[in-house]
Amino acid sequence: MMAQLENGRLSDDTMSVRTLGSQFDEESSFGSDSEINGFTSSRQIDKYGFIGGAQKYSEESAQDVPLEVLRHREVKWLDMLNHWDRWVSKRFKKVRLRCQKGIPPSLRGRAWLYLSGGKVKREQNSGKFKELDSMEGDAKWIDVIERDLHRQFPFHEMFVSRGGHGQQDLFRVLKAYTLYRPDEGYCQAQAPIAAVLLMHMPAEDAFWGLVQICEKYLPGYYSAGLEAIQLDGQILNALLKRVSPPAYRHLEKHKIEPILYMTEWFMCAFSRTLPWASVLRVWDMFLCDGVKIIFRVGLVLLKCMLGTREKLKACPGQYETMELLRALEPQYMQEGFLIHQVLELPISARDVEREHRVQLKRWRKTHGELSYKSPPRMHGAQAIMSAEPHSRQDLRQNPTIIVEYPQLSDTKSESTRIKKRSTIRKAPIPLEVPNPYALPTDPKPDPLKNQAQDTSSNNQSSHPPPSLQQSLLTTPEKTPAGKAEPSSDPPTAVIPTPDPSPNLSRIPPPPQTSPTPIPTYPTKLPHSSNPAITAEPLPITKNSGNTNNSAHLKDPPPTTDSTPLLPDDTPVNGNSAAAPRVPGLRNSCESVGSEDTYL
Amino acid sequence: MGTDLAYNFVFKVVLIGESGVGKSNLLSRFTKNEFNHDSRTTIGVEFSTRSIQVDNITIKAQIWDTAGLERYRAITSAYYRGAVGALLVYDITKHLTYENVERWLKELYDHADPHIVVMLVGNKSDLGNVRTVPTEEAKDFAEAKGLLFMETSALESTNVESAFLEVLTEIHKKVASKEVTRGSISAVTLGQTLGPTSEFKEERQSCCKS
Repeated sequence: MMAQLENGRLSDDTMSVRTLGSQFDEESSFGSDSEINGFTSSRQIDKYGFIGGAQKYSEESAQDVPLEVLRHREVKWLDMLNHWDRWVSKRFKKVRLRCQKGIPPSLRGRAWLYLSGGKVKREQNSGKFKELDSMEGDAKWIDVIERDLHRQFPFHEMFVSRGGHGQQDLFRVLKAYTLYRPDEGYCQAQAPIAAVLLMHMPAEDAFWGLVQICEKYLPGYYSAGLEAIQLDGQILNALLKRVSPPAYRHLEKHKIEPILYMTEWFMCAFSRTLPWASVLRVWDMFLCDGVKIIFRVGLVLLKCMLGTREKLKACPGQYETMELLRALEPQYMQEGFLIHQVLELPISARDVEREHRVQLKRWRKTHGELSYKSPPRMHGAQAIMSAEPHSRQDLRQNPTIIVEYPQLSDTKSESTRIKKRSTIRKAPIPLEVPNPYALPTDPKPDPLKNQAQDTSSNNQSSHPPPSLQQSLLTTPEKTPAGKAEPSSDPPTAVIPTPDPSPNLSRIPPPPQTSPTPIPTYPTKLPHSSNPAITAEPLPITKNSGNTNNSAHLKDPPPTTDSTPLLPDDTPVNGNSAAAPRVPGLRNSCESVGSEDTYL
Repeated sequence: MGTDLAYNFVFKVVLIGESGVGKSNLLSRFTKNEFNHDSRTTIGVEFSTRSIQVDNITIKAQIWDTAGLERYRAITSAYYRGAVGALLVYDITKHLTYENVERWLKELYDHADPHIVVMLVGNKSDLGNVRTVPTEEAKDFAEAKGLLFMETSALESTNVESAFLEVLTEIHKKVASKEVTRGSISAVTLGQTLGPTSEFKEERQSCCKS
C-alpha cells in the first residue's frame, strides 16, 4: 500500500487500495467508508483525529506539553481573550510570544477566531452566515465543491464519512463563501483551509476565519488568475537567494520555477505538507503574525533540503530536485526543530513587502498590469485589529456554560457569584476554591495565601477557580480532535460548583490568619471560605524582571490550594521536568528572532 | 528516492482535463497500481515515474498531474514545459468534461510543444451504465483532431496500462529518428533545437544513478 517504488515518496496520506475490479458503492454508509479506503477497525486514531498515522503524527514528531503547563497557559489565554483589545494593542509582543509557544489545544479554535479578526466579523455580521447558509449556491460552484468534499483530509475522522457532519459543514462553509464573494467563487485550495478551521470551530466561525484568511492574510491567493500566489513564489525565490544561496542557485540552474513546488505549501498554509503538530504551531504563528511565517517555513524547508553541497549532489536534475522537495525529511518538519528554525530566521514582514514591490515591478514588465488587484496584505492580528473598527461588545466571549457558586455560611466571607457574562475587570485568585479535578500529584491545598509572601511574583492573568476554568473550556465548539457538534447553540447551562468531596484529600482551611493586609477590590469575587482572600491586582503589569513567559512552575509550590494553577511562575531552579524546553525561546520577555513590531 | 533502473530515455507526460475526471487516479494506477476514491484534490503539481520497456528500450515515464480547475490554468505554463506527451482526460459520465476538451486542446497547443503526442482519454468506463459520452463520438472527434484515443477505468485498472504504453510508444517513434547516443540518458523534447521558443532546447541531464 505504501510502496515506494521509484517515486521516493511515501504516500502516507493517500492510503489506497489495490483493487481487482470490484465495484464500490459510492453511497456507502457512515462507517464503511473507512473500510473501502483500506482501513480496518484496528487502525489507530491519533489525538488530532487522523487515522492510521496519516499526516505523519508520531511520538517523535510532536512535543508533548505537560498538563500543568497546559493548564497554566490556558489560564493566561483565557485572560488575554477576556481583554483582547488591550492585549493586542498594548501587549502584542506577549501575545506573539504565547502564539509562538503554541496555543493550548482547548483554546486554539477560540484563539484563532480572535487572532484572525473572525470574531469581530462574526459579531458585526450576525445573521449573515445563517442567511448565506440558507441560500442556494451557484450551480457551477456547487458542483465543484461537492466533488471536493470527500477529498479533503480523507483520513481525518471528521471528514472520512461521505455526507457526514464534517463534509456537510465543509460544504456549508465553502458554499457560503461563494455567495459572500460571488466574483471570487471557489478555489480548490480553500477547502483544506476551511477543513483545518472546521477541526477547531463550528461552521459559522470557520466561515469567518476563512473570510479573514482569504481577504486579510492571503488576499488574491484564491482569486482567478492566481496572480498573488505566483508573485509570492517570486518573492520566495528572491528571499531564498539571501537565506540559502546554494539552494537558490540550484533551483535557478534547473529551471525549477517556484510555482512548481510552493503552490500547495502556500495556498494550503502547509496544512498538507507538515506533520499535524507542526501545522498547528505554524498556524498559531501565522494567524498572529501573517504571511511572513509562511515564507519562513518555506525558506527553512528549502534551505534544509537543498542548502548543502552533499544534498545537491543527489539532485542532478529538475525531476530529482522536485522529488526531493516533495519528500521532505521528517526531521526538518518535526515541531521542535521547525518552529525553532522559523523563529530564528530573520525575515520580516517588511522584507516581504519590500520584495513584493520589486517583484511587482518585474511582473508588470513581463505580464502587464495585474488583472486582479488584491487589497493590501495584513501582516497579522495586530494589523487586522487596528484596521477594523470594533467595539468591546464584539470581543466579548460568549460562553454557554456559566458557573454559579453555592452560598456557604461563613461569617466573614463575601458570598458572591461569578457570572462570566458580567464584566470582571479584576478577577482575583481564588485560592481557597477546592479543585474537584485535582491530580494525584497536585499539592494539598494550603490555606496560607502566597501573594503576600511572594514579592517577586507578578500576576498578570486571572485565575478563575478550576471548576470555572473547566467550564470555560467547555464550549459547544469542536474539540481539536474534530468531534462534530450540531451547529445550533446549545442552551445555557448553569453548573454549580461541586462541593469538595471528602475523598479528595484536602485540608480544611484553618482559622484565618491574615498576613499583611491587602486591599479588597470592590468587584465580585468568587466565593471562598477564606474571608481574607483578596484580589491580586489584575491589570497587565510590566514584568518586574520576572520570567512570566516561561513555562516553569514554582517548585515546590508554596501556598496554594490544590490547583496546579499558580498565580506566579517564577522559574524553577535548574531544569524542571515539568517545563518543556521550547527550543529557540529564551526565558525572556522578548520574542526570539523577530523584530520589535509586527513588521 | 527509490531504486532507479537504468533507462535510456525520460519522457515527460502531462495529465490534463477538468477537475474530478480522474487524472490523479490514472497517475497512481499507472505508477503505483493504486486507486483511491478519496484521493485528495490536487493543488499544485504532483508527479510520479515508472519505467517501461518499449522495443527493447527502457523508457522512464515522468507523469505530471495538476489541478484541473479552470482557475489553475493560469499557472500551468511551467507545467507544460518539456512535455512530450499528454493525456487529455474527460469523464464519460459527465458530458461537460468532454465538451471542454476543445478548450484544453487550445491550452495545450498554446503552451506545449506543437509536436506533443496527445491521447484523448475517456475515464470511468466502469460506470458505463451512466455514460453520457458515446464512445464512437469521442473516437471520431479524436481522429479528426489527430489525437490517439482510449477509454479507461482507473478504478478497475482497465486500459490504463495500454493508454500510457501507446502514448509512450508513439513518442518513442517520433523520437527514434533523432540522434541519441545509446546508453546516454537524456530527457528528450520533440522540437528542433531551433524551436519556436527557447524553452524547447534538448536537455541533457546526467543521472546520478548511472
